[in-house]
Amino acid sequence: MSLSDNKTTNGWFTSDSRRVIIQEYGIFFAFLLLSLILSVSNEYFLTSGNISNILLQTSINGVLAIGMTFVILTRGIDLSVGSVVALAGIVSGSLATTSATAGVFGAPYPAYLALVVGVLVGFACGTIVGIIVSRFAVPAFVATLGMLSAARGMTLIYGGGKPVPGLTPDFRWIGTGNILGVPMPVVILAVVFIVSWWVLNRTRFGRYIYAVGGNPHAAKTSGINVTRIRFIVYTISGSLSGLAGMMLSARTGSALPQAGVAYELDAIAAVVIGGTSLSGGVGRVTGTLIGALIIGVMNNGLDLLGIQSYYQQVLKGALIVGAVMLDQKRNHGQ
Amino acid sequence: MKRLLIGLIASVAIFAAPAMAQEKKLKIGATTYGLNAEFMQLWSAALKEHPAVKSGDVELTVFDGRYDALVQQEQFNTMITQKFDAIIFVPMDVEAGAAAVQAAHDAGIPVVGSNARVNSDLLTSYVGSNDVLAGEMEAKAVLDKMGCKGNLVILEGPIGQSGQIQRLEGNQKALQACPDVKVLETQTANWSRAEAQTLMENWLTAHPGQINGVIGQNDEMALGAIEAIKAANLNVSDFAIAGVDGVTDAINAVKDGLMASVLQDGSAQAQGALDVAIKAVRPDYTPVSTVWTQYPDMKWNDGKDKDYLVPWTQVTTKNADKLLESRK
Repeated sequence: MSLSDNKTTNGWFTSDSRRVIIQEYGIFFAFLLLSLILSVSNEYFLTSGNISNILLQTSINGVLAIGMTFVILTRGIDLSVGSVVALAGIVSGSLATTSATAGVFGAPYPAYLALVVGVLVGFACGTIVGIIVSRFAVPAFVATLGMLSAARGMTLIYGGGKPVPGLTPDFRWIGTGNILGVPMPVVILAVVFIVSWWVLNRTRFGRYIYAVGGNPHAAKTSGINVTRIRFIVYTISGSLSGLAGMMLSARTGSALPQAGVAYELDAIAAVVIGGTSLSGGVGRVTGTLIGALIIGVMNNGLDLLGIQSYYQQVLKGALIVGAVMLDQKRNHGQ
Repeated sequence: MKRLLIGLIASVAIFAAPAMAQEKKLKIGATTYGLNAEFMQLWSAALKEHPAVKSGDVELTVFDGRYDALVQQEQFNTMITQKFDAIIFVPMDVEAGAAAVQAAHDAGIPVVGSNARVNSDLLTSYVGSNDVLAGEMEAKAVLDKMGCKGNLVILEGPIGQSGQIQRLEGNQKALQACPDVKVLETQTANWSRAEAQTLMENWLTAHPGQINGVIGQNDEMALGAIEAIKAANLNVSDFAIAGVDGVTDAINAVKDGLMASVLQDGSAQAQGALDVAIKAVRPDYTPVSTVWTQYPDMKWNDGKDKDYLVPWTQVTTKNADKLLESRK
């Protein structure tokens, strides 16, 4: 977003990829600026403990937002992620609990089994939405709004509206454990990010996603199976929501039926702040990650400074709208 | 919309097995602020277990208010149109509930409040617990463990809800006795465990080694704080932590010596409210629920009192197992 960016990139890249790089650096610059302000105003902001906290607090939204990026790149939207978080959390929790009343018959099962089932629950929700959107041409907004309601209802029916306490330590490891000192949720986010980056940037499937979002008709004419691509992105978002649901319950120690309410909004916010266009075809998963980090840093920083959470909501709203305004201006300027 | 299904199920599943009734069956409706959380479920389950409902003497319908004061008002209108004999009301909102009570009063239907307050003097009676007292009890538990010195933080409920206002009043009342204790932070975590966990993680960073106590205005938030302390590799027993409500996870945590909690007896609130409601319709009624023998301090007084306050029970390692047993 600055002169120097233009200078260094001039002649090195095509104008298209230069615009993308500027977009990414623009948001990265905003992230650094925010971090700088917070480091100056609070002595604890830049401590290793706090950085670990920020990453931890960003991990769940980060995973959801990456799934959301796939969907938004195809011009879609997934409003159901928060409800799927709760459903996957409660179903996997009922397999991994030592509580006699809240568990299913034979619980606790090994953690890996609960984890597989949790991802499958998310995958199933994504499959249903994917079929409705891709085969029946129902607008994604409507199909996923339906799933938002239905998955929450199923969560309440499945668990009788009660939380599932007493999750086994093995299961909780994905929320509370660490690998070489890096908290597990952060490791999961990193893995999800790297795989998604690779898929979107280095595979044919990834290029198809951009093509479908950029111009579905052209994509279809050039032989891409648009229906299939549209279907798959919802299963990705659903599966990642399932994963995020288990990260959440593993972190809090109980699977709660009210978990994940309004999480879709933070996920969409991260994608939008990260520079992905809601009209599809343009955007980077790196931007999404930074968008999620900006939200995480802002919430953390304002807590450190002792600012009421109500102001945090106002600031987040301003940030979302501001990011899109900048984006529009930049695109017009090209 | 998402709670519609549950609401339907709740209202359909209520009709108890009919039995020989010596008088005309009473039609009593209850509207709760919402049936999504554990506490209100215990409350409505207890209502259905009331002896008068079991015997078929009372035909009970429980409505799910879906956390919306307007939805509750519509449910009042439904009950008025269908000529219910009495209404039990757990309002979502202190102020907005008053209009609904007025409408029922105009139609000559007695309304008994339960669990949460509504700003109306037209209530026949209120059967609930004193949240100011709960706030005082939990704060005292924290302050006692801190030895009346050091620093603490307060995790509040959603600002403006009667539970948050009254429990905070109680918190502050207890704090007055310990002028040396400093309150480092007071913020809302909206009764949510996940929100409280994030908040506490950030506070532990902002005030390293300075936080000695945590007052959670409900158990969920206190449990979130415990998770944050564990995640920061600190020793939970170095902190004085308390919550309110006595949810299952909290009773387990009390058993493990991690926190203190006071039990809000939702069952007693529900069953007591139904006794008072029946009495308002049938002047010769004597209460049949066990509530009045369980809490001898709460006098029946012929069902004529304006306020019936169900006492709080401190959850201790001694009574924890018994409380957990009663949940099964």
